[in-house]
Amino acid sequence: MGSIRFDKVDKVFGPQTGGVKALDSIDLEIAEKEFVAIVGPSGCGKTTCLRMVAGFEAPSAGVVSVNGKPVTAPGPDRAVVFQQFALFPWKTVRENIDLGLRNKGLPKSERGERIAGALRLMNLESHADAFPHQLSGGMQQRVAIARAYVLDPEVLLMDEPFGALDAQTRVVMQEELVRLARVNPRTVLFITHAVEEAVYLADRVAVMTRRPGRIKEILDIRSVREAENWDRHQRIEDVMDLESFVHLRTQIWKSLREEKGPLGV
Amino acid sequence: MIGRRGLAGLTSVAAALLLWFVLTTLTGLVLPGRFPAPAEFWQSLVQIATRGYAGAPLLAHAVQSLKLVLLGFAVAVATGVPLGLWMGWSRRAEAAINPVFLLIRPIPPLAWIPLAILWLGLGDAAKIMVIWFAAFVPSVINAFAGVRAIDRPMIEAARMLGTPRWRLVREVIAPAASPMIFTGLRLSLQASWTTLVAAELVGALLGIGFVLNVAQQDIYPGMILVGMVTVGLLGWATTWLLAMAEQRALAWNMAARD
Repeated sequence: MGSIRFDKVDKVFGPQTGGVKALDSIDLEIAEKEFVAIVGPSGCGKTTCLRMVAGFEAPSAGVVSVNGKPVTAPGPDRAVVFQQFALFPWKTVRENIDLGLRNKGLPKSERGERIAGALRLMNLESHADAFPHQLSGGMQQRVAIARAYVLDPEVLLMDEPFGALDAQTRVVMQEELVRLARVNPRTVLFITHAVEEAVYLADRVAVMTRRPGRIKEILDIRSVREAENWDRHQRIEDVMDLESFVHLRTQIWKSLREEKGPLGV
Repeated sequence: MIGRRGLAGLTSVAAALLLWFVLTTLTGLVLPGRFPAPAEFWQSLVQIATRGYAGAPLLAHAVQSLKLVLLGFAVAVATGVPLGLWMGWSRRAEAAINPVFLLIRPIPPLAWIPLAILWLGLGDAAKIMVIWFAAFVPSVINAFAGVRAIDRPMIEAARMLGTPRWRLVREVIAPAASPMIFTGLRLSLQASWTTLVAAELVGALLGIGFVLNVAQQDIYPGMILVGMVTVGLLGWATTWLLAMAEQRALAWNMAARD
């Protein structure tokens, strides 16, 4: 459960003719429990891809489907983690995590257990009754991830989730996400413009062209990671030093550089 | 427990009172027929508080005015805020209601007085209706703007979590818009007081506006000032209560602003 499929997906913003074509014939299949990152130049439509899986946008042509069923509306089977956290500032950490469970109509005792589990998973136990504004950016994003994970979703959609964090926090969160993905694997669609992050986290990395966005190439990271046994290293900087990592990263960089505009931006 | 700001406020009030005393009683620069001296004000206050004026003691007038303001304000808020939220949420509701709203809005609330009296007579109902119309507009506009200003990801997060419609309104949209809603409530309350006195100037038998009207006919500056000061104090007290309620309701927001 939890496969995602883009089938010849176009997206045009504005009028169908004369509008801005954001995505051009996207074809992508993400298998169950696979972690796929999409990288691309800004404005290439990578976030739009994620928003269509979430059900926030509809394709102009083609089909986006999850488990073989076309996406029609947002729902808790496809949990989203937003770049700007999007927590409810008037709810405590616990209440933020609880909302999705209440919406599912779960009994109170089960909700309590699942919230406790999510808090433990994200190291948030001592902050359960804090309000979001009392927490640092990194902690707030942990809450948002806990809010998504607690729903036990088939698909996790992460839209530049660490883009608003400072460099150190970012590294910690990346390591945690890898740990989380090992403990509790999910189908993940991860949007980022940070190449290292994509290579470090993903099983496969899809590189997009600039607008109108197309999938330019897909790199298999997982086979390299397993062959070179990246997981023997605990720390991200040790993985990033490996020759096989550097090689993949450089390959993606070169691919992205070809996509820069005439002014080099 | 008076902070630096409180002290500055007290100082300016004291200075104004001193200036009043100097200009009237001490130097006589302002004639008693134009503006009453402190002693005259005090006598008027004692008179209306103990023996009554314009048919009733001050307390009865004040209670009557307070009642009308609170009723008009409550009706305005109870209708205006939901309407504003709805218009903010639904483009269709906005498209349907806004044109009517834009036509009605420039009509001064006091211009409704003749019609209100024609419909509802000289009793409380007509005055409450006029206050309602005056206080309604800021409540609607600010609730509307509050919804429009909500960050889109917050709504999307709620939808992604499967939040049903009424819970979305109650637990996400209304709280997210609440800072603006409270701005609207403050303006509505202000409009209520402004309109009340005008509404009571016409065809009332009780209330501060009536006191002002009678005092004007009696050419009684001391009593006019008593009426004005009473409205000022009541307005200030209700505004303060609203501010306290706002502080409690928006504790999460105040802390975020620090």
